[in-house]
Amino acid sequence: MGPLSRDAWAQRLGAFRASPSAFMAGPEGEDLGRDLLGDLRSEKLSEQTKVSLLALSLEYPAQLWPDVSAAEVAATSLLDTLVLLPPRPSALRRPLLLAATTALAAGGALGPTSGASCRLLPLLLGLAAGSDLGRGFVPASEQRPLQATACECLRELESCKPGLLGGSLGLLRGLLGQEGPVQPLSLLLALALRNTLVLQSRVGAGLGGLLTDKVSPTGGGPWDWTLVEEGDGRLQPQAPSWPAAEEGEGERSLTAREHSPEEARELRAAVIQLLDTSYLLTPVAQAQLLWLLGWALRGLQGQPPALFKPQLVRLLGTAQLTLLHAVLALKAAFGEALFTAQDEALLLRRLTLAAQHPALPPPTHLFYLHCLLSFPENWPLGPEGEEAAPLLLGPQLCRGLLPSLLHDPMALLARLHLLCLLCAEDEEEEKGHLPSPRHYLEELLAGLRQRAALDEGPRALATVCFQASYLVTRCLAGQPTVLTPLIHGLAQLYRVRPMLASHFVDFLDQVDSELREPLKVVLRQEVVSRPGRDEALCWHLKMLAKVADGDAQSATLNFLQAAAAHCMNWDLQQGLLRVCRALLRAGVRGGLVDLLQVLARQLEDPDGRDHARLYYILLAHLAGPKLGVALGPSLAPPALASSLVAENQGFVAALMVQEAPALVRLSVGSHGVKGPLPVLKLQPEALEPIYSLELRFRVEGQLYAPLQAVHVPCLCPGRPARPLLLPLQPRCPAPARLDVHALYTTSTGLTCHAHLPPLFVNFADLFLPFPKPPEGAGLGFFEELWDSCLPEGAESCVWCPLGPQGLEGLVSHHLEPFVVVAQPPTSYYVAIHLPPNSKLLLRLEAALADGVPVALRTDDWAVLPLAGDYLRGLAAAL
Amino acid sequence: MAQRAVWLISHEPGTPLCGTVRFSRRYPTVEKRARVFNGASYVPIPEDGPFLKALLFELRLLDDDKDFVESRDSCSRINKTSIYGLLIGGEELWPVVAFLKNDIIYACVPLVEQTLSPRPPLISVSGVSQGFEFLFGIQDFLYSGQKNDSELNTKLSQLPDLLLQACPFGTLLDANLKNSLDNTNFASVTQPQKQPAWKTGTYKGKPQVSISITEKVKSMQYDKQGIADTWQVVGTVTCKCDLEGIMPNVTISLNLPTNGSPLQDILVHPCVTSLDSAILTSSSIDAMDDSAFSGPYKFPLTPPLESFNLCYYTSQVPVPPILGFYQMKEEEVQLRITINLKLHESVKNNFEFCEAHIPFYNRGPITHLEYKTSFGQLEVFREKSLLIWIIGQKFPKSMEISLSGTVTFGAKSHEKQPFDPICIGETAYLKLHFRILDYTLTGCYADQHSVQVFASGKPKISAHRKLISSDYYIWNSKAPAPVTYGSLLLLDLSFLQSPLPQLKKKQLHFKGIPIPEA
Repeated sequence: MGPLSRDAWAQRLGAFRASPSAFMAGPEGEDLGRDLLGDLRSEKLSEQTKVSLLALSLEYPAQLWPDVSAAEVAATSLLDTLVLLPPRPSALRRPLLLAATTALAAGGALGPTSGASCRLLPLLLGLAAGSDLGRGFVPASEQRPLQATACECLRELESCKPGLLGGSLGLLRGLLGQEGPVQPLSLLLALALRNTLVLQSRVGAGLGGLLTDKVSPTGGGPWDWTLVEEGDGRLQPQAPSWPAAEEGEGERSLTAREHSPEEARELRAAVIQLLDTSYLLTPVAQAQLLWLLGWALRGLQGQPPALFKPQLVRLLGTAQLTLLHAVLALKAAFGEALFTAQDEALLLRRLTLAAQHPALPPPTHLFYLHCLLSFPENWPLGPEGEEAAPLLLGPQLCRGLLPSLLHDPMALLARLHLLCLLCAEDEEEEKGHLPSPRHYLEELLAGLRQRAALDEGPRALATVCFQASYLVTRCLAGQPTVLTPLIHGLAQLYRVRPMLASHFVDFLDQVDSELREPLKVVLRQEVVSRPGRDEALCWHLKMLAKVADGDAQSATLNFLQAAAAHCMNWDLQQGLLRVCRALLRAGVRGGLVDLLQVLARQLEDPDGRDHARLYYILLAHLAGPKLGVALGPSLAPPALASSLVAENQGFVAALMVQEAPALVRLSVGSHGVKGPLPVLKLQPEALEPIYSLELRFRVEGQLYAPLQAVHVPCLCPGRPARPLLLPLQPRCPAPARLDVHALYTTSTGLTCHAHLPPLFVNFADLFLPFPKPPEGAGLGFFEELWDSCLPEGAESCVWCPLGPQGLEGLVSHHLEPFVVVAQPPTSYYVAIHLPPNSKLLLRLEAALADGVPVALRTDDWAVLPLAGDYLRGLAAAL
Repeated sequence: MAQRAVWLISHEPGTPLCGTVRFSRRYPTVEKRARVFNGASYVPIPEDGPFLKALLFELRLLDDDKDFVESRDSCSRINKTSIYGLLIGGEELWPVVAFLKNDIIYACVPLVEQTLSPRPPLISVSGVSQGFEFLFGIQDFLYSGQKNDSELNTKLSQLPDLLLQACPFGTLLDANLKNSLDNTNFASVTQPQKQPAWKTGTYKGKPQVSISITEKVKSMQYDKQGIADTWQVVGTVTCKCDLEGIMPNVTISLNLPTNGSPLQDILVHPCVTSLDSAILTSSSIDAMDDSAFSGPYKFPLTPPLESFNLCYYTSQVPVPPILGFYQMKEEEVQLRITINLKLHESVKNNFEFCEAHIPFYNRGPITHLEYKTSFGQLEVFREKSLLIWIIGQKFPKSMEISLSGTVTFGAKSHEKQPFDPICIGETAYLKLHFRILDYTLTGCYADQHSVQVFASGKPKISAHRKLISSDYYIWNSKAPAPVTYGSLLLLDLSFLQSPLPQLKKKQLHFKGIPIPEA
């Protein structure tokens, strides 16, 4: 594509600026950066158009050249364009330098490996030094402006890569002493000096001869990046915020190194040189210089802050925001070392004066007021970080800073804050003829409420009234002399203008219970004491939904009953139901049941009727705590900002069973043999308190009859629970796996369902003893059983290994309840009943040292392998 | 200490967006630093569209003020400075310095060189004051001299080039954008010795110095027991020094006649090189006594090329130039008003103009008026519910004039009649507008001998003075009126037992109250 015309570019730039992201996503986005660089060299475009192209690249380099390599290419191209300019004055040199600097710094390409950086830096330094760059590179008329521009570019690069100019300090200082442009050189030197001090102290080095070497660091050779690399590329706050500076101090004092007398002298000389010519700088530049030098010298030995003193009186006399702010920064940096108590008092007076001076604009007043309340005192008393009136700022000084109704909202609130602080200090005492600040505060609040009560008043008037009230409650909590009239005033305001209900609801949400509870009571009285049928009904209902609780039930219900007849539209009905809901939550039952029944029948809107019915059902069926949870705020944020959806989600959470991770563990306890059925003994254990636990079991493969659920009223962690007995009804004598589910209620009232790990019923868990035969008849009884097994049954012989306890130990441990005939320690006859109706008979005789042969018979051949496994496993289990 | 971006937005109520971004400038190298410094709390600068919307919402300049919106109207969202947090895409952009002036919103975002959570106190953020100064500078540039729209557009179109000079990388170099304009226009001045950065060239021509003193007087008069009337003079001294040489040294003195009122609360231009401590400490905060410093007020300075405000001051003159009372009473369907104005004998009775505006807020249009005036004429603006009593150039010999009458109003219609949140019921005021040339209330003056120039050639000195009224209110004494703490403070009848301060003596004398012997 050939070069675009001027108009085409204007159109394109306009489209880009309207929405850079949309433009870059469009078809032309990709080529914009490349076209721009190309067309800068086009001869068809005017300089004016090219300047506008460069202006764009100054603002949006990240969009035009999104990565490091593209930024490098762009900077190289911009530098090439600069070099190729014909040797006559051109409006492009300055913006080209700025653009190349911006591309490198913003694109992250600035560094020792970047070719463009290695070209740009010496070029800038050469321009800044006013050196002859040869071949008419800089026309004489442009030399001065370009020198300043080069300084600005270097300063920006130094800001982005601290330490970059560490090697050029001497050179810059020399230039400042000669005829260089004062402001750009001063600011550049101050910044480079500051960064060098910080970086050198971090590595424990001094300034060395950096301030005196007047040779260009490049000296024709490559740029010196060592200091940048020592700094690790970490950015240095040029004017650190105060708390940050405090934190950094510890780190710095560890590594702070004393400068040699020689170094200290040079440093002081350089600082004095900068300060002495500072009046030649514009006020904003002076302020930057003071911030930079103040924080650079802070804590440095041998650099008395008194160096700044000659500047202070001059600065205190001005109204310049930046200058006074810089003085405050010096105050914060040096405290008493620079400002005596008298100086502090003078500074406070100047600030107080500036905060109300009619010649200054309102935003300035407000900022100064903020400065007063955050004033860096020499000896602060209050907690750090909180706004407070400085000690020296007495009521006399504050007189002109107190609020009146004539102030705009921001000034009013700022000044009101000061008034509150005064009232907090005032401690009831009346000072001479001064009217009490507290009385004044009351009058002011009354005035604000009166304005908020205006029928046609904009919302902002109400907002400021509530903001002021909130501010007062925050600052003067615990002072009934202030809060009581405030509460009554607000109640009165509601009476006059109920449409401010939203503000009241918000206010109640924000304030402490000290004010909230009494205010709720008076507001509720305000609402329920009037007939519920005026046009403000919707506001009353909104208000009541917030303030209704268990108190004054009958009045509230009477109001609602009266109001119900007037709730003709959906909005009002919903409002009414919201109040019912609030009452439900508060545990109101009696009259509410009747009201809900009436509403469920009467309301016109089916949705309203449904809701009323739902509330009625909830009220009738749920116990108090559960009801509270059901109606409580939803746990999950609703996807839609609709109250209905939110409410619905609350119900869903509370009334539906939630899938949850298991909060209960079950283990199978020791085997017990009593009664006609095998019983599994389960030991439950809870991880959190749970209630109404129901355990449901399912047998896999229908080996047993379905199992009954087990109920436990309450389980608490750490409190031992009684074992649970689970009777089994086997359909065949086989081990089985039980699937276990738990259903329970958490302490927050939610009903949860959890799947527990399966339980295993072992073969031995099914063993039951035969009824005990009469004394002495054991053998006969056994023989009878033994013989009855054949011919349908099965017979086998198993080698049962024995452990060290021998046969006796084995039997007593596992088979004791089933022994029918015993001749210890050599012979045992064992008869086991396996429900539903099988038997297993064992003869353990003639034991050897390491095992015993077991003859076994059963009437159920399917039992045989299980029995074999069981016997073989016994020894291992011992 | 830098700005991440700056915007100028025109506020256009009634349009769909309620505003248009007229100018914006971003500083990507500063933005890159912000990303590093702010770390996890970094919020990028949004595009113009979302910024416009969020800012107008925060400043309550959208037309949808009807409903309560918690993120704006909640009582706990208290803003006490012109510095805001804007909710954009779920994140909060802070600090945004912004203010509205002449339907233009000026906004910028200063760099904070640390993490933003927790928020550092504003006072510790160096970029905040710079941001304000930047915006004030733009405002001065846009509104210095002319006012019409096409000129404003021309100036807006000059801004990109000017900021390339005054703020190329986001760090403001000069808040006075006119300097940058001169720089771009005449870049080829060769400057030998140290040239101040705030002085872009040198003057060639006849040496002359012009000093003009403008005093504005404001007042709140209540004519009530227990509430003191207040008044204050605010002076601005503007200079233009056309002197040859790079840094001519000049001392300008302001003088007071023997009975003049001392100047207080003096704020000087940064070009003033040193300041007498008496000037620095004379302040309205202290109770005034006869020992107050009464000049001459000397200001040694090196003047810039352009016209500049040498200093601002306030002064507490013993009496207000015009003392009045205003009584308004509601009588069934009409209002009865009585007004008395008295010019103090010490004041120059030669006005450029003098008129009293009598507005009736929160009422319908004026339907009927009957009145009697001892002097001047009355203009009636029925639809605006406003009366203007044109007093003219001179008070009569008696120095006292009066107006009385009855006013009847029609039904209120919201569009036309003005709403006022203060003037409710019988709370009402009249406002005086006047101007007197070649006169100051304090007596402050500059003359041929006021200027010392340490440079070649004797300059021609010209001096001008004028007094203008500003916020000069006289409240209806028959109804409550908004008071300041100062009004409650000044007049407390218990003073009758204590020696009278001089000020009050004069005041009482002026009001015709007999003074008890101290």
